[in-house]
Amino acid sequence: MRLVTRRLLQSIPLLLLVSVVVFSLLQAVPGGPLAAYLENPNVRPEDIARLRAAMGLDAPAGVQYVRWLSAFVRGDWGYSYADGRPVLDRVLERIPATLELVLGSTLLALLIAVPAGIAAATRARVDGMLRVFTTAGVSLPVFWLGLVLQLVFAITLGWLPSSGRQSFGDTGLADRLTHLVLPTLVLAVVQGAAWTRYLRRSMRDTLDLPYVRAARLRGLSERRLVWRHALPNALGPFVTVVLLDAAMLASGAVVTESVFAWPGVGSLFTEALVKRDYPVLMAFLMLGAFAVVTLNLAADLLAQRLDPRSRDHAATGA
Amino acid sequence: MNDTLQKTRHRFGSPAVRSVVRVSTSAALFALAACGKADRTPTASGASNDLLIVGYDREPDTMNRYATHILEDIESCVVEGLVTNDEQMRIVPVLAAEIPTIENKGVVMRADGGMDVIWKLRPGVRWHDGTPHTSADVKFTVDAINKGDWKPESVDGFDRITGVDTPDSLTAVVHYKELYAPYQLQFVRGTLPKHLLQGRDLNTANDYNRAPLGTGPYRVKEWKTGEYVLLEAVPSYWRTGAPPKIKQLLFRFLTNTTTRINLLKSGEVHMVALVPWDQVRELTPISAVRLNKVVGNGYEHVTLNQRKYPAFADLRVRQALAHAVDRPLLIKTILDGQVEVVNGPIQPLNPAYEPNVKRYDFDTTLSNRLLDEAGWTRGADGMRAKDGKPLAFTLITQSGFAIRENVSQSLQQAFRAIGVDMQIRLMDGTAISSVWFKGDFDAMLHWWQMGADPELTLFFAHDRTPPAGRNINYVNDTTLSQLLYASDRTVDAERRRALLRGAQRRIAELAPEIVLYNTAKVDAVPATLKGFTGNPTNAGPFWNVHAWEIVPR
Repeated sequence: MRLVTRRLLQSIPLLLLVSVVVFSLLQAVPGGPLAAYLENPNVRPEDIARLRAAMGLDAPAGVQYVRWLSAFVRGDWGYSYADGRPVLDRVLERIPATLELVLGSTLLALLIAVPAGIAAATRARVDGMLRVFTTAGVSLPVFWLGLVLQLVFAITLGWLPSSGRQSFGDTGLADRLTHLVLPTLVLAVVQGAAWTRYLRRSMRDTLDLPYVRAARLRGLSERRLVWRHALPNALGPFVTVVLLDAAMLASGAVVTESVFAWPGVGSLFTEALVKRDYPVLMAFLMLGAFAVVTLNLAADLLAQRLDPRSRDHAATGA
Repeated sequence: MNDTLQKTRHRFGSPAVRSVVRVSTSAALFALAACGKADRTPTASGASNDLLIVGYDREPDTMNRYATHILEDIESCVVEGLVTNDEQMRIVPVLAAEIPTIENKGVVMRADGGMDVIWKLRPGVRWHDGTPHTSADVKFTVDAINKGDWKPESVDGFDRITGVDTPDSLTAVVHYKELYAPYQLQFVRGTLPKHLLQGRDLNTANDYNRAPLGTGPYRVKEWKTGEYVLLEAVPSYWRTGAPPKIKQLLFRFLTNTTTRINLLKSGEVHMVALVPWDQVRELTPISAVRLNKVVGNGYEHVTLNQRKYPAFADLRVRQALAHAVDRPLLIKTILDGQVEVVNGPIQPLNPAYEPNVKRYDFDTTLSNRLLDEAGWTRGADGMRAKDGKPLAFTLITQSGFAIRENVSQSLQQAFRAIGVDMQIRLMDGTAISSVWFKGDFDAMLHWWQMGADPELTLFFAHDRTPPAGRNINYVNDTTLSQLLYASDRTVDAERRRALLRGAQRRIAELAPEIVLYNTAKVDAVPATLKGFTGNPTNAGPFWNVHAWEIVPR
């Protein structure tokens, strides 16, 4: 508990630093929230000046940041420049769709990676075969894989819906699940391939350790050796990678959401970025940073459970 | 922020292995697709009078027509203007009984230099909640926009209105403090319902901004953020006293162009507006889809910034560059012949269009002669220079827009052939807007989507350079400015057109920009859709959605 409290307190200055950096970067990027208005000939320069003042964009950047921060820490995340709705509402309504995608793809990727990684580490023949698939998984561009799977399974074969989170007028669970298949599959293929390789390497390293060799010499069965002695140790670093990757995914599978018209935070981020919707972007990026900090902590805690040695390190503050 | 795992940490296998895997995976998947194709032909059918699904390229920010800064396709199905533009760009009455003109005494010039416009409203029109639409709504709209505490997108024209009188429920007299030529389009975005919005903060009236009360053939049934907007037909539309033929319109938000086209092919969406020109050929063989093309109200061109790159201030240089571009070839090759060459900013469907202007046909001999005369001589490398300075500039254009990137490269080759060095810099759409608004570029390949009103002052008057306007060529010509300002002060339509025709001829002589082609609009609709005409203006293709009907073949 002390560790959790300490780490959360440590994260406050970190998040503050992130907010300064992110705010400065957004200000530095060319274009601004009013850029989208410029193409319309009905919008006059006088209109631009009027809107700039109404949005508070005529104040110096430092003043804008302090205004944003003081409101943010009080729970006031402001209003979207694009549609005038509360930022919190805009973000919260997108989170369920993203969680569906993240949980679905993470679970599927784990179902692929854990058995495949173990098999690849322990059986040479399987390893050779899996190498082809895992190399394919990490090599294929996500947008390309998404479009091809869409073309094959939705457009040509018609087995699965091509896009969206549900069919219009159908609120059934089965319909929701069928919509989840393709985007989940795309992310899981890429993620699962990488995790398979990572677990294979981790298992190989563990199986080479002296205590495993000693156990083998003492006549322990291969099955017991792998599952009871090697796997728990190999899982420590693996879990850290999984959780950090999940944190990145939670920040938005931007490309996948675009290809499959998935209404998650990734598509909100893309939209906000194009429109330079600063309040939404700030909220999104701060949530992303918080998710990374939290899941990093969760990964450390889980690693401790799996590996007593790291518990000792944490206790001594190493 | 990205799709993860395309990172160096996860790179496995040699590049050769990865290539082999990519190729074989592709082959396997395409083989699977080919097998499926044998017994499954894309239909793109399924549209019916019960439901028409539109693949839409963006989600609206708001449904309030006065506050949105993007196209109003969905909004215009719900909220009607006093007028709209038809497919020929004519201004036609909708909620107005007639278009006010000097001839029908709808426009009165005052002795103090101002003008009064008398709007007669169509009788019998009701808001969707049954309340009559009246002149009080017109007055409320003007007051709400001019009050200053709301953030409408534009107050253009409204800021010249001193007040509105409502002598009866169907007459609104709008008083302008000065002459305002585009007055006919003042209420093209409709009116705000006074009985619903009076006393409310329009910036936060999200019930209205998400599902506005209108008088149109449809109303918002559901807006599922990030997914779709569903419109349902009103039971009794004022034009016919009956609902429109198509009962529901579903606008699905599909930002990815390839996905949009794929779904059209599969029949999951029935209609896609603004099909990219380079994808038209792919859709042409699909019998269930009809491709409707209209001449656009915009034009693609290269802006030559005379302030930032002084060589462009020499007319001969500008004309030489214009003559160096083989526009018909460019259209035939890169744009698949889908657009037409044009020669000026006002487009052919506009009544103020002037066809007889100076043309800049492809003629590199003339280009070379003009540059020689201007003192830009070729060096040993074939490139031109003057007083030790090379004739070299940078063209900016939007990244991720394949056609534009290809056109840029074509221009680069064309200019190189006459000894001019042009570098290309690609920028994202939002960034490029802020750059041009500051006039901080040498040359830019882009388009202007013009307003339905043919005003050119904002783009070419000498004193409308940024930030006061969009004269980003920085053209400075007294004759032209006089013509433009005279046109702004002329309310009589024919006299105004004559002035604008003169302005177009002058613009062509000055060649402030290299005009390339008209931005034609291609919409893909069900072949069984009757009544669809398309629309070149910002009124959009849904301007007459009340008249649409699916008629099975």
